[in-house]
Amino acid sequence: MSHQPVLSIQNLNVEYTARRGKVKAVRDVSFDVFPGETVAVIGESGCGKTTLALALVRLLPRSAKIAGGKVLFQGGNYSTPIDVLRLNQSQLRAFRWRNCAMVFQSALNALNPVLKVSAQVQETARAHGEHDAKQIEERALWLFQQVRLDPRRVYNAYPHELSGGMRQRVLLALGLLLDPQVVILDEPTTALDVLTQRTIIEVLKRLRDEMGFALIFISHDLSMAAELAHRIVTMYAGKVVEIGQVNEVFYRPKHPYTLGLMRAVPNLSGGRAELVSIQGSPPDLIDPPRGCPFAPRCSYAQPICHEQPPPLEMRATDHASACHFWDRLPVLRESSEASSREVNP
Amino acid sequence: MSQPTPILSLQGVHKYFKAGRKTIRVLQDVSLEVAEGEIVCLVGESGCGKTTTGKIIAGLAAPTAGKVFFEGRDVSQLRGEDFRAYRRAVQIVHQDPYASLNPTQTLYRMLSFPLFRHRLVRNGAQARARVLELLQLVDLTPPEDFIDKFPHQLSGGQRQRVSIARALTVNPRLIVADEPVSMVDVSIRVSLLNTLSDLQRRLRLTFVFITHDLAVARYFAWEGRIAVMYLGRIVEIGSAPEVTAQPQHPYTRALITSLPEPDPELTRHKERLSLRSEDIPSLLRIPSGCAFHPRCPWHVPKVCDVTLPELAPTEGRSLAACHVTAQTSRHLEALSAQKA
Repeated sequence: MSHQPVLSIQNLNVEYTARRGKVKAVRDVSFDVFPGETVAVIGESGCGKTTLALALVRLLPRSAKIAGGKVLFQGGNYSTPIDVLRLNQSQLRAFRWRNCAMVFQSALNALNPVLKVSAQVQETARAHGEHDAKQIEERALWLFQQVRLDPRRVYNAYPHELSGGMRQRVLLALGLLLDPQVVILDEPTTALDVLTQRTIIEVLKRLRDEMGFALIFISHDLSMAAELAHRIVTMYAGKVVEIGQVNEVFYRPKHPYTLGLMRAVPNLSGGRAELVSIQGSPPDLIDPPRGCPFAPRCSYAQPICHEQPPPLEMRATDHASACHFWDRLPVLRESSEASSREVNP
Repeated sequence: MSQPTPILSLQGVHKYFKAGRKTIRVLQDVSLEVAEGEIVCLVGESGCGKTTTGKIIAGLAAPTAGKVFFEGRDVSQLRGEDFRAYRRAVQIVHQDPYASLNPTQTLYRMLSFPLFRHRLVRNGAQARARVLELLQLVDLTPPEDFIDKFPHQLSGGQRQRVSIARALTVNPRLIVADEPVSMVDVSIRVSLLNTLSDLQRRLRLTFVFITHDLAVARYFAWEGRIAVMYLGRIVEIGSAPEVTAQPQHPYTRALITSLPEPDPELTRHKERLSLRSEDIPSLLRIPSGCAFHPRCPWHVPKVCDVTLPELAPTEGRSLAACHVTAQTSRHLEALSAQKA
């Protein structure tokens, strides 16, 4: 992995205007994504993860406003970093898809039902400045093959002729059409069946290794994150509360919220683990609590937690968390020989 | 099973739907016995017939062929008060708590309606007391804070608790829970499951729990059974720990080995059983013989595509409908054990 991040998010803030006031959906989010790296952003509904993803490609709805920060991109045709948040409309059009593609959550709705897949492929390419129809077709057919679809049949099909899993793979292929350096996936496998989900996971792994794009995937599914990601970003109440290398975060979590999520997920192997939910519900983001946003639900909380927000600081190699009492958390598994450095997802 | 009379018994249940001139065979020859107080999870992918099975159990759909017995009595023969008693005894909890609660009614109205309808209370005071008790039972505490709320004032998890309370109003004996936790957030999923387990024990309820998530099924039905369905048939059934630890049917094995697990080392080194084909066949064209044969990596030509395998004992204690598990795999394992 190169040391120059392909995407660097710096102090990003996003607010929605609501009747009661401003909803601070993304608060001071900063992290880097390196070329070829897979970063999983995990958290529950309402934690700001989808808003974050939309902000990275500037697809936020009108009610949202970017209230500060930078999203620096470097790669492809840009040898020096550009701030995505400062691009004008035509620059933005060039940036989207060619440099950074987003694959949306609802595969069933993201394709136009009255256009053949071929038309949607060609239209996408034209909108982003590719006019050689023949070449685009070849590229699309090759990509369909890569995502294990029958290329000819799918290219000439209408979306309703395809199953949910096939449509999700079409979207993925469509996202890779212009060979972007960054791909953002929003809940790539929700609503898909287990075996279809497995196909998507395998396809993703192979493509990212062959094509070398960086992958940011937004998910509430810890198992998917465990399987695919190099690094994990945990979000809570609009903030990054923990970020680190995948084994570190899973085996030695340094934030009680991440720990709580792990203790709440049933597994398939071993004995019947005693599972515990996290009590309470996330805070109101119009008037977020003064101290740590997780303190009201946290079993480690002390008076200081309700007063002072803990800073997001390095607690171990490549592992930061925003918790005053991070060192009181249990180690879930000692480091094995295949230590944190060498994960080969 | 050597229990006396099972509380519920499906015998050779088929369900067909007509789509124009075509017939969609949603359920074929499903037989299942559920003992009083037992938890049975129906697991499978979309279109496998698990929800239709649930609806038939709850009396919301009638089988095309086959019989449903509740407490030993053929449900299709029940009339009048007997039928109403059966409908009261079996209640269903739906998947989507955002769609299944009337947005214009307070919890009190929603939960007191069945009480009055079935004459379980005489007056408002009794109804209110019972509704408070129900809210307490599903851990919506303190109940006084919830009783006059509308659904929009509740979170997804709280709404699902209301759905459960509503199912409990008429003192049911059996609850069909159709994907009750799939729409709620991970962090509260477990507390909902724990509430259901608690109720099951305290009220001696019987559960038919429908889910696509094997890990959830395993957690909830730890002392019960899991039935795995594929294209309208039960392909494997056995105790939950057994089915998940030693799946016998290749479809169950494919499901279990495909699922990612919340442990990076484990999930990345899991051995996979890969299928010959990615796509689920259409219910309009169910493959001949064993319906799984076009995707099955163990497929034996001229056997699997010709003869339908029956649910039969395996070397484990579960039953599986597979020609190969019935013979070859056991044979191979015996051989490798000898060599070792």
